[in-house]
Amino acid sequence: MTNNTNSEDRPRISVSSKRFMDFAEEVNERSHANLMACLQCKKCTSGCPVAGRADLRAHEMVRMVQLGQRAQVLQSRMIWECTSCQTCATRCPQGVSIAAMNDTLRMMSREAETTFAETTQPVFNDIFLRSIRRRGRVYELGLMAAYKFRTMRLLEDVDKAPTMLIKRKLKLLPKNVRGRAERKRIFARARKAREQT
Amino acid sequence: MSYAFFPGCSLEGTAWDFLKSTKAVARKLGIKMPEIEDWICCGSTPAHQSDPLLSLALPAKNLLAAKGETVAVCCAACYSRLKTANHEISSDQLLRKRVADVVGQDYDGQTPVAHFLEILVNDFGVGKIAEAVTKPLKGLKVVSYYGCLLSRPPGVTKFDDPENPMLMDRVLKAAGAEVIDWPHKTECCGAGYGITDVSIVKQLSREILGMAKAAGADAIATACPLCQLNLDLRQGAIEEAAGEQFDLPVFYFTQLLGLALGVERKALGLRSMIVSPKELLDSRGIGL
Repeated sequence: MTNNTNSEDRPRISVSSKRFMDFAEEVNERSHANLMACLQCKKCTSGCPVAGRADLRAHEMVRMVQLGQRAQVLQSRMIWECTSCQTCATRCPQGVSIAAMNDTLRMMSREAETTFAETTQPVFNDIFLRSIRRRGRVYELGLMAAYKFRTMRLLEDVDKAPTMLIKRKLKLLPKNVRGRAERKRIFARARKAREQT
Repeated sequence: MSYAFFPGCSLEGTAWDFLKSTKAVARKLGIKMPEIEDWICCGSTPAHQSDPLLSLALPAKNLLAAKGETVAVCCAACYSRLKTANHEISSDQLLRKRVADVVGQDYDGQTPVAHFLEILVNDFGVGKIAEAVTKPLKGLKVVSYYGCLLSRPPGVTKFDDPENPMLMDRVLKAAGAEVIDWPHKTECCGAGYGITDVSIVKQLSREILGMAKAAGADAIATACPLCQLNLDLRQGAIEEAAGEQFDLPVFYFTQLLGLALGVERKALGLRSMIVSPKELLDSRGIGL
């Protein structure tokens, strides 16, 4: 007597499914996003402010992570269009923290060096964090100048600069907070911990 | 009433008027808020997008510097980062140890953090605010715009109802304004993308300005430096692209409350606003 549900008759998906799971598990472990609980109800996408313009929508991102679509997800523009507004995480009936998942995907996309080519957010992030390490606080004018030179977006928004200066919204001089050596140690220890995991 | 004040970087730069008006309001109401000594940046979006441990270590360092006093915050992004650090560190012992290793000191995640709106409503009380009002904002129709990070995620911030927060509405009502109910209280303005992808800001902020106008508002009240900057600085360009006029001055709620408490316009930094509120305030006889 044959049994049609015998495991040997089922399609063999062991090798590839393991690879799928690796990606989903890695994202889940790093983000604690609880992403396998997703039911595809699309409540996240319904409230997502960038759903209309993004290349992938929130619920699609989760599904693709579940299915191990590593390359497509890490190259997506959506990772860098998400505004971290937390509407998805707030409304998800399954407690999936999509915003947290997205932060992890941003890091993984940078680690894999497959970041969506047109985004300058990673450059901005690096300059911003360097400013904190060095001065303790963000020096907006210096930050803007460094960002413009690094991205060569020299003329973008320059018309806003005089207004910002007249309205005293840009301080000409930076403020330096004491404790630079200690800050450097904090940044170094965080970096080391990140590299170890 | 005394709090350890964490102003955050924006309040020293783009949002200097938020700082000035907050201090003026606190002084009027007798709320003491000395700054935390040598506070540093909370890490903001770049930290949580880049390094999870650092994004908790920077807030932890500041919260330790508050020495157990309740920390008062104005910036919604700082508030979110400090609250997130408390939430994560206090609920995960292993993570607490890892953060301690980075900071060089153990932090238990227990230092209370309160937004200035929470202080005004929950600690000071709207009844007492109404009593202190000398120049009610009569005839001023305003919508309260909370943005994302005060009320979301609710399990972390525990600020107010995440879909329909009321704290700012109550403060402005106590100040005598006509607070209009509207559906975009917690929509996103595009946040930090004002620098790296302004098309997102223009698209999202347009929705908010359009809805405020449709609701019949004279002005928008905000509680976040990024919300204020996006809606104010980009308003002209958005009007141009959309072919419609909004003419909506974008205040910090502290500026409006300050006017109601009898603080002069000058002492509230109103001159920093790009869409000028002068005509509107003159026509309603406010702050004269």
